[in-house]
Amino acid sequence: MSFATFRGGVHPDDGKSYSKDKPIQSYLPKGEMVYPVSQHIGAPAKPVVKKNDTVLMGQIIAEAGGFVSSNIISSVSGKVKTIENRMLPNGAIVNSIVIENDGLYTPVEGLGTKRDYTQMSRQEIIEAVKDAGIVGLGGAGFPTHVKLSPKDPNKIDYIIVNGAECEPYLTSDYRALLEMPEKIIEGLKIMVSLYDNAQGVIAIENNKPDAIEKVSSLVANEPKIKVVPLKTKYPQGAERNLIYAVTGRTLHSKLLPADVGCIVDNVDTVVAIQMAVAETTPLMRRIVTVTGDGVNDPCNFEVKTGTCFEELIEAAGGMKEGVEKVIAGGPMMGFAMSSLKVPVVKTSSAITVFTHDEVAEYEETPCIRCGKCVEACPSHLVPVKMMQAAEKVDLKYFEALNGMECYECGCCTFTCPARRPLTQAFKQMRQAVMAERRKKA
Amino acid sequence: MSFNLSSSPHVRGSVSTHSIMWDVSLALLPTTAFGVYRFGYHALAIVLVSVLFAVLSEYAFMNIRGQKVLISDGSAFLTGLMIALNMPPRVPLWIPALGSIFAIIFVKQLFGGLGQNFMNPAMGARCFLLISFTSIMSDFKVDSVTSATPVARLASGESVDLYDLFIGNTVGTIGEVSAICILIGGIYLLAKKIITWEIPVCYIGSFAIFMFFLGHQTFNMTYVLAEICAGGLMLGAWFMATDYVTSPVTKNGKILFGVFLGILTGIFRVHGVSAEGVSYAIIIGNLLVPLIEKITMPKAFGLEHVKKEKKAKEKTAEESAPAVKAPISMKAYHAALNLCVITLVVGLLLGVVYQMTKEPIERAEMEEATAAFAAVCPQAASFEDGEDLMANAHLITDGTYGNVVLNSAYHSLDEDGAINGYVVNITTKDGFGGEITSAIGFDKDHLITGIEFLEINETAGLGMRATEPEFRAQYCGIATDSFVLVKSGKSAENEVDALSGASITSAAVTNSVNAALAVVNSAE
Repeated sequence: MSFATFRGGVHPDDGKSYSKDKPIQSYLPKGEMVYPVSQHIGAPAKPVVKKNDTVLMGQIIAEAGGFVSSNIISSVSGKVKTIENRMLPNGAIVNSIVIENDGLYTPVEGLGTKRDYTQMSRQEIIEAVKDAGIVGLGGAGFPTHVKLSPKDPNKIDYIIVNGAECEPYLTSDYRALLEMPEKIIEGLKIMVSLYDNAQGVIAIENNKPDAIEKVSSLVANEPKIKVVPLKTKYPQGAERNLIYAVTGRTLHSKLLPADVGCIVDNVDTVVAIQMAVAETTPLMRRIVTVTGDGVNDPCNFEVKTGTCFEELIEAAGGMKEGVEKVIAGGPMMGFAMSSLKVPVVKTSSAITVFTHDEVAEYEETPCIRCGKCVEACPSHLVPVKMMQAAEKVDLKYFEALNGMECYECGCCTFTCPARRPLTQAFKQMRQAVMAERRKKA
Repeated sequence: MSFNLSSSPHVRGSVSTHSIMWDVSLALLPTTAFGVYRFGYHALAIVLVSVLFAVLSEYAFMNIRGQKVLISDGSAFLTGLMIALNMPPRVPLWIPALGSIFAIIFVKQLFGGLGQNFMNPAMGARCFLLISFTSIMSDFKVDSVTSATPVARLASGESVDLYDLFIGNTVGTIGEVSAICILIGGIYLLAKKIITWEIPVCYIGSFAIFMFFLGHQTFNMTYVLAEICAGGLMLGAWFMATDYVTSPVTKNGKILFGVFLGILTGIFRVHGVSAEGVSYAIIIGNLLVPLIEKITMPKAFGLEHVKKEKKAKEKTAEESAPAVKAPISMKAYHAALNLCVITLVVGLLLGVVYQMTKEPIERAEMEEATAAFAAVCPQAASFEDGEDLMANAHLITDGTYGNVVLNSAYHSLDEDGAINGYVVNITTKDGFGGEITSAIGFDKDHLITGIEFLEINETAGLGMRATEPEFRAQYCGIATDSFVLVKSGKSAENEVDALSGASITSAAVTNSVNAALAVVNSAE
């Protein structure tokens, strides 16, 4: 059997066995809750509560600061302790609303009311998604209501649920596919109902055969939904590569998926859409994998946003002795953290804890022009030449080599036998190019 | 608590420069082992010396330059090994030592060390040695017999046993003789994903197609297979052309590079001066790698079809911002295309002129040779082919007479058709200015009756004086098995006074004469 895939990519050790057989546990937070006003792409949200205000679970505490922005919802009931700068898992310092959890979880009025989405108009559904503060939970945090409002809705013919979960160690999407497939399928049906010409696709890497089988059997009678098994390869779940694998269409960095008729959302995002539309429940939770050889009991949690990372690691049996590195996300694209006192935000898919930081040992050696980075690049770039541009800080050459098409997946660095920090250099170059462009504009 | 901080990715693949170098060395093990098995301990000594000197040169250079010594990455070891595999099995040990020093210091380190050299160090060293020490580097004798390599034999129209070539029961450099051993190593590299298929397959494939249509024997599959297995082609295609540093990084570039090498090797083998052409083809190919990469840059994902659209947009936006120059400009394509067309046209013209003049030139040469035969063998009424003499051609190729080749030999006949002498046409490559071809006449008692030079390009006023009658007369009418060259004053009949200031020419001529004597003496 052949599986949908793309050209390029690498095969890192997937590390999923730590947590893949651990069912999702609900975790109730103990300490203070932190809600940064910027957990998404776009303008920061504007706080609508003040210090000492009482808030209810499900209440909007910060409103979207524009169309491309997102509401922030309190996931607990309690009192606003303060509004101050706090650190995000990716190291950014962002203004945050801190709420003292009263442990009662008193809901706002109407929270959890069942709704029949077939009775709702397209506008009502998109409004519900917008109010619920839903953004792409896979990692980018692009506001979902923007994604669902393309210029030409009739052009949309594919709604793709991204269940590739190609990032090593992560198992949250896998568990969701196994444990809440009905929610995912209903969420997808809600999305498909928005567009006249759309069909739904649930794309899953073939290292999750049980998930493929389970979801396939559930959609057997759904005429507009099918499951597409993908070849297991990193970064199969990267949006552009996934679209190519499923539809054969290609797009570059200046195009949105909607420009080629596609809307792609991560599994957990689709769950959030289902909950927002059919259950009147805004985005207050997400699934987080706590994993790696550095935690005693790796597992998958369904947690309230705003919960402190430290609490989650404690809930996973605590850290082992001699942990060297803690990553927000997976090892390929995640952020190394300096502190665990950061909140779970909408895009926090995992906490990966390593007792051994293999990267620290490597020393950069001369490039031997092996071309492995060229083979691995899923954007079909030539990292070896981009690195030459980066070494000379030659922004023009970097752009001419289509360096801005790089989405920093890390394949080149992973595969480089000379252990050269390619992706790292490209990140800096891309930022430099963007800064240059802003200056000109 | 403090944690390590670094930018993603936080994991790496298992393949390192170090592991690649040792994997390639491992892939070379079968052919190295076979070379040592076939050619004996001297071959092993060559391998050891060459590796030792490569590693030492690298160590010394990096140390003197105050750099961090990186010999543990195995690249110098590998270069040394590859040099050894490109050595004839009987070369004196200073040859591989010199080759390794040249490769590491001059080809690799002076251009910036690992990853910066513009040609394959092992190939560079081989070509350097071939040019500087031609006779040593083309001496392939095994057990003091047969010296012609299979490639040379194929070039001269002989057929070669394909099975022997495949297994390695033949002559050649230490590492090139066994096609099967090289293939095992190549497949190992493919399986380990250290090399990709493009270069070896396109190299061998295009070479095969070239030889099938334009080789010494056309439309002959057995011949093509023999050409593939013979000489340095397999070793070159699997191990030398695939050298990372000096081959293109792009997929299409690898294909183009392979095809280019295949055709170039074919041209060298069919039309070149020496029978072999792999090393020269590869270093020339190496020089073209930057250009090949430039014209084969892959299209970025998603940008495959947007070129025209983008160009149109760029034009409208030109006033506001200067367009960034694309790396793959069409100019490069056009330049390459133009060059190709010009080369083709000039090549064709040359070919046509060559074909037109070929016959008259050959006729003139023939007439010249016949005249020379008559001159050196005045007693002859006519000549007939001296097949018995030709059969003994191998007697003079064991090195005793230097680098000599018997071109042809004839019986001189009297008016009744009885043999009354011999003429031997012989070429030595040991002249100061290249080859010296001479016609040497003998009477029926094997005494020399005359010497004429058919081709001689020695230094005027020095070596060229070999053509003077006084010098040539020294050989005539003397009964001896072998002439001895002396520098000052001959004291015996079979001694020959060397031309002052031209001892190399004198030795080459004397060796030719002695070789001719040996051939004639072997008759009957």
